[in-house]
Amino acid sequence: MALCLTLLAAGTACRKASPGGMPADAAPPAAARATLQQLKGSVSVKRAAADDWTLASEGMALLENDTVRTGARASALLRFPNGSSVLVGEDALIGIAETQGAPGRDRTDLTVRRGTVDATLDRPATQDLTVGTPSATVRAGREIVFQ
Amino acid sequence: MSPALLTLLCLATAPADEVVVQPKESLADVARRALGSAEAASELRAINHLESDQVAAGTHLLLPGPERARAMSAMASARSAVHQAKAGAARTEASERLADAERLLAAARYAEAAAQADGAWKLVSQRPDDPSRFAVQVGDDGTTRVRVDSGIPVRVEAEGRTRAVSPGESVLVRRGEAPGVPTSDEVAAGTAALEAPLLLSPAADVRLALDPKGKGVGPLRLVWRAVPGARGYLIELKGASSQTVRSARAEVSFAAMPTGTYRWSVRAIGLEGALGPPSERALELSTSSIRLDVQEPSWK
Repeated sequence: MALCLTLLAAGTACRKASPGGMPADAAPPAAARATLQQLKGSVSVKRAAADDWTLASEGMALLENDTVRTGARASALLRFPNGSSVLVGEDALIGIAETQGAPGRDRTDLTVRRGTVDATLDRPATQDLTVGTPSATVRAGREIVFQ
Repeated sequence: MSPALLTLLCLATAPADEVVVQPKESLADVARRALGSAEAASELRAINHLESDQVAAGTHLLLPGPERARAMSAMASARSAVHQAKAGAARTEASERLADAERLLAAARYAEAAAQADGAWKLVSQRPDDPSRFAVQVGDDGTTRVRVDSGIPVRVEAEGRTRAVSPGESVLVRRGEAPGVPTSDEVAAGTAALEAPLLLSPAADVRLALDPKGKGVGPLRLVWRAVPGARGYLIELKGASSQTVRSARAEVSFAAMPTGTYRWSVRAIGLEGALGPPSERALELSTSSIRLDVQEPSWK
């Protein structure tokens, strides 16, 4: 603290380094949109800014625009912060929370480009989940509770 | 005597799920007599694949099975629930579902009508506390199928159209198209493809020599093996005298037919009036040899 104050007084940078090694004025780390659990078989993740696929690991946090791919006889459970969950079946390709949806389409929590997902909302009165696909948007839970 | 009159179904009395059109009866009259409402004429037309409301006296018409009663019951429950529901999106959506159910009923698509009525009922009777479970399946061409297993209805949007899908229902969305009508999983199972009937008699390409009857020959009896799930059959004869008749049994008889060559086909009619694939054969009708018994004249 004393060092920082000293540096601040010098007009430079406490900013230059943070404990995580990131610039202090950079955007804060993106919040996890979902967590990967119950991995079975070949499950890969491609980060939004990455070009390559990496093997997924149990408990891996998924961020906006990350993509998950499952192979034959593989599956993975995506747990969202609101408690809702999605089981991704084999040979599937899904995306996490598009920051910018397709023109004319609303933002989604999950995009399914191929394959099957089974979604569960244990408390639909307080949870919601929106799934986008190439042909439709599927809304479940709180948003569509009528009246 | 006209070919139409020459052709008489040999079934003297109609089975329980058939009705015989009486002289001077219109289809509405038959519907009123058999189903209790003249408005049900459209159902008879659909079930029997009639092209108009003009039906000749003596025609045997198939009647709806017990699935009609179930559809009527489901619609009555849904009407009551919608009537009592508070105004809002759910009631509006349920009313649309009921209107769909009415259209399906008029087309004799009873299971689908019942499913739409059940869907309407669920929309205004939902319990938001039940866990919501649904599946989304995306094919390689982008076609999406949404199936709802439990909980409150799921909303499926595409091309500016939204459909509420209730538990036990599925909806299909093709790329660039609005969502289709949600269908009950039970209905999907119940409308599984009907088989083509296995034709038994007469044999294929046979030449039948029948006794003279009026201006034709007869009787001609067509027999096939019953198709599982069929509630009737549509029989078409094309040839010297073209005919289309329906039968609730796996056989039909014609008292008399003009001689000549024919192709005859049989298709099973499903619960919803859907037609299965046809089976077809050819036959030729001719007059059996006339035995002349010439005796010695007594004047010789």
